Amino acid sequence: MTATRVSGEGVGASVRRVEDRRLLDGGGEYLADLRVPGTVEVAFLRSPVAHARLKGVDIPTQFRNSVFLAEDIGFTKPIVAATAAPGFQSSEYPALAREKLRFVGEMIAMCIAPTRAEAEDIAQACTLDLDELPAVWDIDVALAADAPRIHEGWRDNVFLRSAITAGDLAGIKANAPVVVQKTLRMGRHAGVSLETRGVLAHYDRRLGELVVYSSTQFPHVIRTVLAQSLGIAESRLRVVAPDVGGGFGIKGNFHPEELAVAALAMKLGCPVRWIEDRREHLVASPHAREHRYRITAYADRSGRIRGLEAEVVVDAGAYSVWPWTAAMEAGMSAGIMTGPYDIPVYHGRAVTVCTNKSPLGPYRGVGRSGACFALETMIDAIARAVGRNPEDVRLENMVPPSAMPYRSATGKFYDSGDYPECARRALAAIDPAAVRARQARGEPDGRLIGFGMASYTEQSAHGTAEWVARGMPVVFGYEPALARFTPDGKLILFVGIQNHGQGLETTLAQVAHQELGIAVADIVVRHGDSSVSPYGMGTFASRSMTMAGGAVSRACAMLAEKVKRIGAHLLQAPIDAVTLAGGQVAFGSQSVGFAAIAEAAYRHPERLPSGEEPGLEANAVYEPQCSTGAFSYATHACTVAVDPGTGMVELLDYVVCHDCGTMVNPMIVEAQVVGGVVQGLGTALYEEIPYDENGQPLASTFLDYLIPGAPEAPDVRVLHMETPSPHTRFGIKGMGEGGAIAPPAAVVNAVNDALRPLGAEVTETPITPERVLTAILAAEARR
Amino acid sequence: MKPAPFAYVRPKSLGEAVALLVQSGARALAGGQSLVPMLNLRLAPVERLVDLGGLAELRGVRDSSGSILYGAMTAHAVFEDGEVPDASNGLMPFVAGQFAFRAVRNRGTIGGAIALADPAADWLTTAVALEARLHLIGVAGRRLVGAEEFVLGPYVTALGEGELIEAVEVPKRAASERWGHARVAMKIGDYAESMAIALMDRKAGRGRLVLGAADGAPILFPEIAARALSGAASDELRLAVRRALLAADRGFTPAKLAMHTTTLLRALAQAAAA
Amino acid sequence: MKNHVSLTVNGRRVAAEIEPRLSLADFLREHLHLTATHLGCEHGVCGACTVLADGKPIRACIALAVSLDDAEIRTLEGLQGDPLMEALKDAFHEKHGLQCGFCTPGMLVSAWDLLRRRRDLDERTVRVAMSGNLCRCTGYQGIVRSIMAAAAHAGSAKGPA
Repeated sequence: MTATRVSGEGVGASVRRVEDRRLLDGGGEYLADLRVPGTVEVAFLRSPVAHARLKGVDIPTQFRNSVFLAEDIGFTKPIVAATAAPGFQSSEYPALAREKLRFVGEMIAMCIAPTRAEAEDIAQACTLDLDELPAVWDIDVALAADAPRIHEGWRDNVFLRSAITAGDLAGIKANAPVVVQKTLRMGRHAGVSLETRGVLAHYDRRLGELVVYSSTQFPHVIRTVLAQSLGIAESRLRVVAPDVGGGFGIKGNFHPEELAVAALAMKLGCPVRWIEDRREHLVASPHAREHRYRITAYADRSGRIRGLEAEVVVDAGAYSVWPWTAAMEAGMSAGIMTGPYDIPVYHGRAVTVCTNKSPLGPYRGVGRSGACFALETMIDAIARAVGRNPEDVRLENMVPPSAMPYRSATGKFYDSGDYPECARRALAAIDPAAVRARQARGEPDGRLIGFGMASYTEQSAHGTAEWVARGMPVVFGYEPALARFTPDGKLILFVGIQNHGQGLETTLAQVAHQELGIAVADIVVRHGDSSVSPYGMGTFASRSMTMAGGAVSRACAMLAEKVKRIGAHLLQAPIDAVTLAGGQVAFGSQSVGFAAIAEAAYRHPERLPSGEEPGLEANAVYEPQCSTGAFSYATHACTVAVDPGTGMVELLDYVVCHDCGTMVNPMIVEAQVVGGVVQGLGTALYEEIPYDENGQPLASTFLDYLIPGAPEAPDVRVLHMETPSPHTRFGIKGMGEGGAIAPPAAVVNAVNDALRPLGAEVTETPITPERVLTAILAAEARR
Repeated sequence: MKPAPFAYVRPKSLGEAVALLVQSGARALAGGQSLVPMLNLRLAPVERLVDLGGLAELRGVRDSSGSILYGAMTAHAVFEDGEVPDASNGLMPFVAGQFAFRAVRNRGTIGGAIALADPAADWLTTAVALEARLHLIGVAGRRLVGAEEFVLGPYVTALGEGELIEAVEVPKRAASERWGHARVAMKIGDYAESMAIALMDRKAGRGRLVLGAADGAPILFPEIAARALSGAASDELRLAVRRALLAADRGFTPAKLAMHTTTLLRALAQAAAA
Repeated sequence: MKNHVSLTVNGRRVAAEIEPRLSLADFLREHLHLTATHLGCEHGVCGACTVLADGKPIRACIALAVSLDDAEIRTLEGLQGDPLMEALKDAFHEKHGLQCGFCTPGMLVSAWDLLRRRRDLDERTVRVAMSGNLCRCTGYQGIVRSIMAAAAHAGSAKGPA
């Protein structure tokens, strides 16, 4: 299955990106750069309170025609994202709030004006008539028996409770010599694509079509749900994602803003635009994480884990996001909890709580960064309990390569790989013995050195079986590609994924090059436009390279056959005597290029073999052979210095050894890993949106919400392993999210290793100076 | 995130500026690096901005025998790059390179930063440490206020109605004086969580110790500076610092108390070692 | 309530009647259609809107256009063809210094200023000097390597120790 690396541009080559030029010249065209004459700007009037009955909106007389309320777009249907899981309590998320307000930032009205500033003036001039209700601002508050209900008719403030039961835990509990228990928290934060969200909608009278530009990761899917929500035919709707300035999952939801703006453009018949500002993004875009764990491990005296019990509680905010549902985060965490370890007995519970906060949505590493944090913190604790090094305990618990393919206690099917070898390579690079020697010596500046590591598996390119099992509204099981030669012999790939930084305009061209030998410079990749590409699912869940790569490969392989048939005919050679290589069909010393073949196919059908259809394009759809996903995996290891006087944590070294199967473009793979790591360090050390007891978010600008900058980011050392997946074209596994999964776990372990001499321990991310110092003071008080 | 409407004037003389500033709803615009974000966030109600950017009087530097007078509109980067004479044995250029980002330091000004009196602002703490005098000008004329008396609390200053800072006068520090500076920020360029400056002149027997980012005006610790100067043991100093911080009664969390203790002690140690 | 402003943008004299509340960034983007200057936060932290005013980088989102009367503004578009800027772009391409590209114009303008100002660049200096430009995709590694490569090319990197 390993790709043969036949040329400098095919699968496995670090081809420099074709999308760079326009972006470097400032020629990228992001949503806010689009211009449609006559566009009016929208500012949303958003809820200033967490929980209230909305009795009315007082609009100053002069603005009566500039403010639109729920009843003005009454033809829209609320967003409902329900899973098929039994007991799921469903929420109705309206584009504009009707009678009730459920989080700070929920949209109440659209205010329009020629400029955004004037639209904001109008929003500021409106006043709200509210009956405030007690804010359900925290998981514990939401779960109290007498808690006010956020949604009418619900039994309690819980979207879903689910459980996974594998093996006889009671038996293990009765006999385990070592029992370790932890209570852990991972803070709530935001996704923070550097480009915020945005929507521009206008009505194309010529085509009788509503055109919606959105900074989205999945334009086709948005077309489907938007058409349903607006009550129009999908054939009358076009959704375009222009250049998108980062997504990370945040832009992979159907947002009420998309619905509201599209509805207003329909109603007004003029172009309407909303550009999210940073405060709106931090307060009202789908949030990330906020997990709480109670986890207990039962081990033998060597640290071998015999059984695991975990409860994951996630604060999913006020509404269930479409299509993922509120339950995805907790469900994925509980479902991957055993990670790369061979833990035969596992009882997991997932609780998804509804609160008066912005809805929780997918963010790079969905669920898994929390599961990894919980389990890997636990493994360090087990190692301490049995008096061994954490790396030894890890290696002994890992699924050995001899057990591959392996079915985990949670039913995940790990397709291939050598998990212990990956961990050993990461360890060799970071050299724990040297770190411990330095730790023992002590630092001249009094800082404490710590070593931490964490391993994970990353389910990627989930196919039909996985999405069906989750009871999702959409089953993202496949990906299409249309490969089309132009009459001059160049190639256009029309794909249903959406490229927003991943380099897919380059890597999909590399796949086409692999099949056809055509130069990458002669290939154009078109994506992000529902009227241009075949219906595809977009880019999320580490799927695009595997899925769209497979589709491009199939389409191009089909094209290659036709190219050879036409080429052989033009060369007057038997079909099985010609070869296709280097952009030429060759027969002995004679050859014919794509230009001549395409010319025959489009403009000179008389030159085609008899019975050959004119034209030169192929449509293909790809589904991996095994639709439960291809599992990438990695070990992260880091060294930190903790300043016990200030609580500051510095990363001194960070190593990743990972295996994502066959790498199409190692340069891009490596950069995706590094980018993910630094996002994960944000989760670990900096990023948090706390809420006060009134349900007010306490971080709403980049002054109080911190993301890592260049000085905070370490120079990450990335080591690659390549175990091809047996189930995917070229053996590719997805890897976009992985980098973000392990950093909270690795850093918490390293910080706790550093704090060990003080008897202190942190159990919550982000690990702020305040939290480190509080932990140190608590340890001092105990002594 | 756009500002509410306001009027804008760019006076050509200091007199004109002062006359404009006494009108109700007027606010002075210096470098705008704090004010304009607040305007964008609609957090600062302003009817009329009086842009000081056109006033050459606020830009000069005057080096006299005992002190240096920096025009209030001198940008942070100008200090950072050493384009103006230094009165502080290198402390001011050092501080100027520590906060915010280059693009902000190119626009932001020392006078604007001090006038805003953000407790976490580095210039404020530095001005108090260096015993700077602020030259204020208003319709009633000019007056001098020590930096220490200037700051009354978070974002509250001694500036009267329509008054503005014309210049920051920094007495030339003795060549025998050494400084120590300790700053904790979660990120490079971020606001300080804690910031301490110590000035120690063993020869003259003078010491100063200031804590900034202290949820209010910078706090001076003269007794601790004196003890440090007299060579107090580190345990004794630590205890004294802790007590003094508690006595300051700023409601610090235990963690914040520990952090401030650290920065104060480190600033002292650095000044002593220099 | 409009004020007159007249300034030079990328070598071209521009005069307009504008609201005083209009930021330089919105003036460039919405009035002059120069969209390389991006808005990532509108409160002066992320650096995506970094442009040059009188040769020095500033945040266009927290500079009022009206207060820049007579200033000389240069955006990424206006540095097209500048040898140092082209060297930076080539390095960003070669060393994979960008992913989604949204922070890139601000990164390039800040890096251009850094390379013109400093002659002693090592990795740490570059990271600290670039602290005012946030990137959410790259983890900065590609960016730092790109700037170091361009610095070596322009002779502003520290030689081997």
